[in-house]
Amino acid sequence: MKYLPLVWAAVMRKPVRAVLTLLSVMIAFTLFGLTIGMNATFDAVQKEAHDDRVFTGARFSGDNGFMPLAMARQIAALPGVAGVAYNSAVFGYHQVPRNRVFVLMTDAGFQKMFAEWPITAQQWDLLHNNRTGILVSRAMADMWKLKPGDDFTVAAPQIKRADGTNSWTLHVLAIVGDVAYMNPGYMLGNFDYYNKALAAGWQDRASQIFVKTTDPDGSAAMAQAIDHHFASSALPTQSTTEKAAFDISNSGIDIAAVDIDIALAGMFMVLFLTANGIAQSVRERFAEFATLKTIGFSDRGVMGLVFLEAALPCVLGAVLGIALAAGLAHVLPSLLPPGNGVPLPRVNATVLVWAAISAAAVALFSSALPALRLKQMDIATALSGR
Amino acid sequence: MNLIRQIFIVAALNFKSLPQRFWTSMVIVVGLGATIGVMLSMMSMTTGISRAYLRAGDPGRAIVVSQGAEGEANSSISRSMAPLILDAPGIARGRDGKPLADRALNMGVPVLRANGTKGYTTLRGFGPNGVALRPEFRMMSGRMFRPGKREMIVGIGTQTMFQHMGIGDTIIMPDGEWPIVGVFSTGDILDGQIIGDTETVMNALHRGGYNSILARLSSPDSLDTFKRAMTTNPAISVTVMRHSDWYRKIAGEQTAGLIIIAYVVGAVMTLGALFGCLNTMYAAVSLRGREIATLRALGFSAFPVAVSVMLEAVALAAGGGLIGAAIAWLLYDGKRDAFGNTVFFLTVSPGLVGLGVSWAVVVALLGGIAPSIRAARRPVVEALRAT
Repeated sequence: MKYLPLVWAAVMRKPVRAVLTLLSVMIAFTLFGLTIGMNATFDAVQKEAHDDRVFTGARFSGDNGFMPLAMARQIAALPGVAGVAYNSAVFGYHQVPRNRVFVLMTDAGFQKMFAEWPITAQQWDLLHNNRTGILVSRAMADMWKLKPGDDFTVAAPQIKRADGTNSWTLHVLAIVGDVAYMNPGYMLGNFDYYNKALAAGWQDRASQIFVKTTDPDGSAAMAQAIDHHFASSALPTQSTTEKAAFDISNSGIDIAAVDIDIALAGMFMVLFLTANGIAQSVRERFAEFATLKTIGFSDRGVMGLVFLEAALPCVLGAVLGIALAAGLAHVLPSLLPPGNGVPLPRVNATVLVWAAISAAAVALFSSALPALRLKQMDIATALSGR
Repeated sequence: MNLIRQIFIVAALNFKSLPQRFWTSMVIVVGLGATIGVMLSMMSMTTGISRAYLRAGDPGRAIVVSQGAEGEANSSISRSMAPLILDAPGIARGRDGKPLADRALNMGVPVLRANGTKGYTTLRGFGPNGVALRPEFRMMSGRMFRPGKREMIVGIGTQTMFQHMGIGDTIIMPDGEWPIVGVFSTGDILDGQIIGDTETVMNALHRGGYNSILARLSSPDSLDTFKRAMTTNPAISVTVMRHSDWYRKIAGEQTAGLIIIAYVVGAVMTLGALFGCLNTMYAAVSLRGREIATLRALGFSAFPVAVSVMLEAVALAAGGGLIGAAIAWLLYDGKRDAFGNTVFFLTVSPGLVGLGVSWAVVVALLGGIAPSIRAARRPVVEALRAT
């Protein structure tokens, strides 16, 4: 601690260089926070996904994209099935087409199927007792500025209503908690109300069926069994386990790997920058270090000083950069168009640990060579200024 | 001594002293190399996706979808409306005198990706004119499906991106499994897709309508004639677009998000590189303080000194940008990839390399301006005395 003023004096010898280095490191760690934070979100999604749930949808889209409710009953009768729920969706927009909206119209089985969602029994009762009601998650409520008692109107031109209109006016009953894999937030309404409001020929069909298995390890086999059951029917299905459905590496490109590459490129950039700054600073103050050694500083003491000089901008830059990333993650939802589905980065303990490790590594690697040179220096030569 | 000559001499001196400042100068090269490398790697995706779509669009063709449909898959053209569209003026006629147009299907179908994960690709229906409309269509192996038969052909890209896409493998359909009988190539997005006979697929799926109609225009100028015929007939409510414009629109929609992400990541990294560039150039100016002062004392004016500093920054940055572009090119260019259900080749085009290098040069100009002014403004006597 008592050497801190010494380190500070060394850093502030060139204030412009110190500030520019700090800014550079800060920016790299902002990027680090956003990309590794994005991966933290993917991890959280994976952790929240349950082993014992299977999602079943129609194999073909368009007119064939819906499944008669009889299929849910057939699945419920399969061996190993503990429970079944289903939904359809009112999908369209709120006021203008760019405000895309998706309201899940859920059946009564949903409460038991997704029992761990942060929705209380009273809130479920509210939903089940109010046909046109919806439960709105906190993130969605913030996005659309909704509170209990508000009406929320969705225009859904692709859904045929019995009354010939395409407008759905839904009544906000309560604001409920968010779920990591329902990004960015969700809205739940009543399937029964939705179903009866549809035109003839559109009724009694679900777009997705959820299946709970009695054996969590058997969910992959269950997905196969369901698809096999309907394989040669008029409506083949496509089933996935919830874990697989929310695994980001299944999205077509491995975004998690891309995130790590970007973060590494940023770290490489600042490693080079700080290493150079330190090397330069040590070169300029060679005689100074020789003096320190003359008055009794050990090799390790001098090397420690160099390490601290490198660590100061790294640690400070990492703290500022991660803080900036956390701030950005907070304001990002209001900058992006609603309903875009972009997962939001989160700065959690894992991100902080990786940032700390990276900052320490950059400081260590960038100070290693100059420190070694100081260890091997010839004091007399250095003092003579040659 | 004229200005140009002065600039030349000072810049030459600068560059000669570069080896002494090798590692410091490398900060600019590495900073911009990393920035441009990351940016272009990300953009190799958007460029590749755009190309695959744009190649599929032919200005000599027109596509008809239902009014306002954003894609072929959510468009629907009824059986009764189709003949009215096919008989419209502006469509080229084949040798048999019939309109050169095709009733097409387009829908998502699940596939197993090569890495074992589940994904989707597009299943298309070709009518009798599907191939005649596309001169780019070639059979690579096997044979074309026979009209009326429950058979499929697959694009050449599906064979590397997805599992079970060989001749003899099958595609699951509602009425059983259909064998794959051939492999085709068009050199565009269709290479990642599956094609069957329109009417046969429709029967299997109990579909009441087509998704789109593709037509060869009798001449590139006849689009307006065709469009007018479509809009003036009250029995038809459709959107008509030139096929190339249609795919330009879709390519834009497909890549917009990725392009924004690439620019945001690029901008953040650029900011980091900019601070590094400023740092390096300030260091360079202060290291060469006495040399610059000597030149000024010899009668060189301030301007060439400033310009020489900028030139150094620009040269280093351009070098870094080129290295970054080269790395992106070596790693990714020409690699086949898939995004969603689009199969394409990652592309680091010359245009993209140009963008990367210009970007780096702009960063250098921004990062070099303050240090160069400092270099030119420093009082000669003070700089000469400095240790």
